[in-house]
Amino acid sequence: MIQKDTPIIELKNVNKFFGNLHVLKDISLQVHKGEVVVIIGPSGSGKSTLCRTINRLETINSGEILIEGVQIPEEGKELAALRSQIGMVFQSFNLFAHMSILDNMTLAPVDVLKMKRKDARAEAMRLLERVGVADQANKVPSQLSGGQQQRAAIARALAMHPKAMLFDEPTSALDPEMIGEVLNVMTELAAEGMTMLIVTHEMNFARRVANRVILMDGGCIVEESEPDTFFSDPQTDRAKLFLNSLNK
Amino acid sequence: MKPLSIRDMLYEEPGPKMRRQIGIYTILAFLLLAALIVAVIRQFVITGQFDSRYWYFFGRATTWRFLGQGLLTTITSALAGSVIAFILGFLLMRGKLRRNKLLRSISTMLIEFTRGVPTLLFIYFFFLVIPQTGIKMSAFWKITLPCAISACGVVAEALRSGVNAVPWGQTEAALSLGLTETRLFYKVVFPQAIRFVIPSLIAELVIVLKDTTFASIVTCADLMQNAKVLISNYDAMLSVYLVVAVIYILINYLLNKLSDRLAFRLRTGTAERNAA
Ligand SMILES: Nc1ncnc2c1ncn2[C@@H]1O[C@H](COP(=O)(O)OP(=O)(O)O)[C@@H](O)[C@H]1O
Ligand SMILES: [Mg+2]
Repeated sequence: MIQKDTPIIELKNVNKFFGNLHVLKDISLQVHKGEVVVIIGPSGSGKSTLCRTINRLETINSGEILIEGVQIPEEGKELAALRSQIGMVFQSFNLFAHMSILDNMTLAPVDVLKMKRKDARAEAMRLLERVGVADQANKVPSQLSGGQQQRAAIARALAMHPKAMLFDEPTSALDPEMIGEVLNVMTELAAEGMTMLIVTHEMNFARRVANRVILMDGGCIVEESEPDTFFSDPQTDRAKLFLNSLNK
Repeated sequence: MKPLSIRDMLYEEPGPKMRRQIGIYTILAFLLLAALIVAVIRQFVITGQFDSRYWYFFGRATTWRFLGQGLLTTITSALAGSVIAFILGFLLMRGKLRRNKLLRSISTMLIEFTRGVPTLLFIYFFFLVIPQTGIKMSAFWKITLPCAISACGVVAEALRSGVNAVPWGQTEAALSLGLTETRLFYKVVFPQAIRFVIPSLIAELVIVLKDTTFASIVTCADLMQNAKVLISNYDAMLSVYLVVAVIYILINYLLNKLSDRLAFRLRTGTAERNAA
């Protein structure tokens, strides 16, 4: 029943407060199927919060968040089911420290999707192969490099066959020489048509991969345009200022 | 992989100067201890504590069988008490981490109450008050239950600190994968929490074991009670207490060893299992 133009992710006039702090100010946003949207902006501008409201790791005070046109359930099994359809990749990887990479991969598919353990393992190995850490499958996370951990975390999210993936600064905790390997995996995902919302400071990546770039500042979306326009011909003064600060 | 002990985490590897200092203090401590032991033994000899009349009955099998029976009661009581303390402590911990305000404050109250009241008072309660209510209870449970109740609050707090030590990001990751809060607690959080607190849980087991020495109050024939019987039979206090103390020390030493082993096994368990 899904119409072709129903966005996978849609925010309508979303407001979010932390106490008195107005963190998201009347945010409206759509991410369509197969689109890659990159969010950039200074620290504290509300990028993470925006990302986290989409699978309700943060609640919102007003407005609506729709996934394929359906409002996010507030609690219980329905909320869990919805979250399982949106992959999320965190800055700090957040692999389960007491489990092997393989067990990290199969936990949710077995527990949530009720897959057979054998099938889940086979698929997990395929995904690990794809992100290039299949040879690490039997190690625990602390035995992997940061780049390997993040690639495994991406694979773990993919194992749930998500409709869209959220990335919150996936390379910010990585040593410079490992950033490339994670961005490569993300670039491939984008090329395969995954719907993605990415918070990042990697401007070259944004320029290369994004269909749309969003600049946030002080809880507002201040500019939203195609990457070429955004980087070579920014419309707002705020965007010009931000891009200038990067070039320094 | 070498296990990281608390000491490894708190202190850096000592340098040459530090090592020399540690060496000197170790020798000093040894000398002091040796002097103390010599003094005690000297005192024993002077007061005739090594006299054979205080020791000959340790050559009899019946003495050891008697002590052994007591030891068995002590161990079963401590084990049963610990299991009960763990179950109660787990429930209290779950209660305290609930969003439900009422459940949370009841759990907090019970934890504080059981931690604050001395074990002996619980024992008197089971010994003096419970029988008056008409409830029949064997001496074994009259000592085991109060020891368990007295320990459960501490266990609850230990477990809770373990749960809080698991990085919140892992909970968020599990939520974002679609696990419910209950499932992720048992699959992700608790298995890690228990690894963190194994040492303090074993320490609590040692305390339960020591608490059961109050068993003689409720005339439960544990190691301590049987030791007291020996003392009055043979009029030999020091020798019996000495032997019993050594037995308690041995058990607790073994428990500590077990704790180290267990902590190590749990930490490396995943890797081993997968290598196999
Ligand atoms: N849990 C929280 N409680 C209170 N304030 C928060 C919390 N999380 C974030 N904030 C505040 O909200 C603002 C936006 O944070 P965040 O979304 O993390 O920004 P960004 O990801 O763009 O750096 C910041 O001022 C931050 O201090
Ligand atoms: Mg952030």
